[in-house]
Amino acid sequence: MQRRQVLKAGLGSVVMALTPLSWAMPGRENADWLFSAVDGLDGKHYIAGVALDGKNRFMIEVPERCHGGCLRPDSRQAVLFARRPGTRMHVIDGDSRQLAHTIAAGEGYHFYGHGVFDLNGRYLYVTANRLEDSAGLVRVYDAANDYTHVRDMPLGGIGPHELRLMPDGDTLVIGLGGIQTHPDYGRVKLNLDTMAPALMLMNRHSGEVVARHAPSHHQLSCRHLDVAADGTVIAGYQFEGPEWESYPLICRLDAAGDFSELALPDEVTASLRHYTASVAFSRVSATVLVTAPRGNRVLLLDAEQGRLNANLELPDAAGARCDGNGGFLVSSGQGGLYRVTPDTAVPELLVTQEFRWDNHLT
Amino acid sequence: MIASLRRLGVAVAFLAAPLSALVSADADTNTPRDIWHSAIAQQYAELSNASERLEASATRFCQAPDESLKQRLESDWLGAYQAWQAVRFVQFGPIEQNSRGWQLQFWPDRKNLVGSKVEGWLQAGTTPTVEDIASDSVAIQGFPAIEYLLYDDAMSDWPLGEPAMCGLLQAISTHLADTSNALERDWQAFGVHYRDTPRYTETTLANAIQALETLEQKRLGEPMGLQGSPANRYLAEAWRSGNSIRLVESTLEGLRTGFLPGLSALLREADALPLAEAFRDQLDKTLAKTGDLPPGLTTSLDDEAFRGQQSLYLNIGQLNYLLGTEIAAELGLVRGFNSSDGD
Repeated sequence: MQRRQVLKAGLGSVVMALTPLSWAMPGRENADWLFSAVDGLDGKHYIAGVALDGKNRFMIEVPERCHGGCLRPDSRQAVLFARRPGTRMHVIDGDSRQLAHTIAAGEGYHFYGHGVFDLNGRYLYVTANRLEDSAGLVRVYDAANDYTHVRDMPLGGIGPHELRLMPDGDTLVIGLGGIQTHPDYGRVKLNLDTMAPALMLMNRHSGEVVARHAPSHHQLSCRHLDVAADGTVIAGYQFEGPEWESYPLICRLDAAGDFSELALPDEVTASLRHYTASVAFSRVSATVLVTAPRGNRVLLLDAEQGRLNANLELPDAAGARCDGNGGFLVSSGQGGLYRVTPDTAVPELLVTQEFRWDNHLT
Repeated sequence: MIASLRRLGVAVAFLAAPLSALVSADADTNTPRDIWHSAIAQQYAELSNASERLEASATRFCQAPDESLKQRLESDWLGAYQAWQAVRFVQFGPIEQNSRGWQLQFWPDRKNLVGSKVEGWLQAGTTPTVEDIASDSVAIQGFPAIEYLLYDDAMSDWPLGEPAMCGLLQAISTHLADTSNALERDWQAFGVHYRDTPRYTETTLANAIQALETLEQKRLGEPMGLQGSPANRYLAEAWRSGNSIRLVESTLEGLRTGFLPGLSALLREADALPLAEAFRDQLDKTLAKTGDLPPGLTTSLDDEAFRGQQSLYLNIGQLNYLLGTEIAAELGLVRGFNSSDGD
């Protein structure tokens, strides 16, 4: 808390007319501003910075549809990533509200839409595809040196998606989606019958894969996840198999390292329509929120007990993050930004924007 | 023979489901989803039959290649391709499994992957088996790859029925028939789930809207240069054989037979039958436009057919507006962003 106040005070004279952006790192316990990939009603792609009052905002047009993002600790930067098979990541300077850098994945690579910094904000870890052999990688970039590429760490699998830093600061947790794509083929999924998804842990220094947990069905693509302060991980799947079959869509890696899938009532699983988007812990309690845009649902779960606390309707529910007070902010592909708290029955509409929020809030 | 044995073997696994699907279809065929399910089942059956005719035609041609059997083969290829266009608006259910829609038709093909894949096999020195094709890229598995073998300029110097060409042709056509057979069977098995799950009403509508948008923007607008980029005939489907407009026509006919009856039932339930009539009239008018046009797509502004294509494009736009805006609003259909194309 204190650090953020210092930051704000120090910046006051520089920002002048601009509303100061509040950046809390790395716990992100508060958010005055949100960053998200959005599509305009004009069909163009943007990165949006939006104040919670909904009045202050800025939009930066980008050539590809972006997806997730992350904040750089101890800085005023946010990074947003093109979704597959996009090839760019964009560093946004929060003070000037402008694009500071655009970094290309490089010939023969594309990104998957997610990245995360280490605790110091020096190294950025980005999920990527090496096209020549479809190898899933974590690519490492040095933010202190203009985001130069440092090295690649192979995951021994295809299609890494969201990744986060574990509380130890040394371990990355990665959702390996298992789906092979290639830019020549657009978004065609090339290996649906031979997918091998996993929830993985990797040492960010050595690149050693220290754990690999396979979902209960090979077509459960492990995509999005969040980590609680105690190291509990909740991850969401997207099922790529027959839509008339039903499988668990949420898994947990508990603080002791035990992997399990949450058994929700069948009708709840069915209502998600095989697809989860964002996962966000409240960071105040064990409550975790999962969005399901196809099912127009938001689930609130007790991550410790593996119990469903609430199942709310929210149209095209997409991005999610904690609000710092035990609640959550949730965006909708239809333009709304909502607050969801553990004790309200109906999501509270905060603002409506004339654009389509993509699946994640930063 | 091998192919049909394999198909039989796969069918056993699905035996329990199709029977129950058929029984409940007989019990009640009145609801919109009942109507859709059986109309689409018929379309998949036609695709399956047409693909088997194509497979048989390829075999006959390769046994005794001559010009008349080649013409027959071309006609059977187009017939099966058109049967696929008719049911192409359905993008949910069994068609999603293993990217089957892409297997049947990899398009658009901006990098000519179809050409390079076919050339790769032709130069390989070995004849691919059906399994080779099944485990290879979607670019080699479908109608466009056969079109390359039958129509591409690069093939014009090849002797009729040349073994490498014929081996590849037969493997692809058998794979196509396998895929179409499986689709027909799996759609039957899917019936109970489809009819029992109300949200498929919305899904079916959204798929038809998507099909019209694709028709307007991608299948006509982009190659004709009406979407902000210069005209490019290579972006059209079936440009090698000059059948782009025929395929558009088949999709519209498929919406007439496979989609309109269920839509009419749905709008009747909503007490909005005039909208169904308006949609039918506009669909008929649009279909009549395709009938007046040559089979291929022209990108030349000087060509009189271009004006006809523009008129077709506008008519499809009106059809799209009618379904995607007016009828969707009447039925309370709201289309998602991440829910239809998330990651």
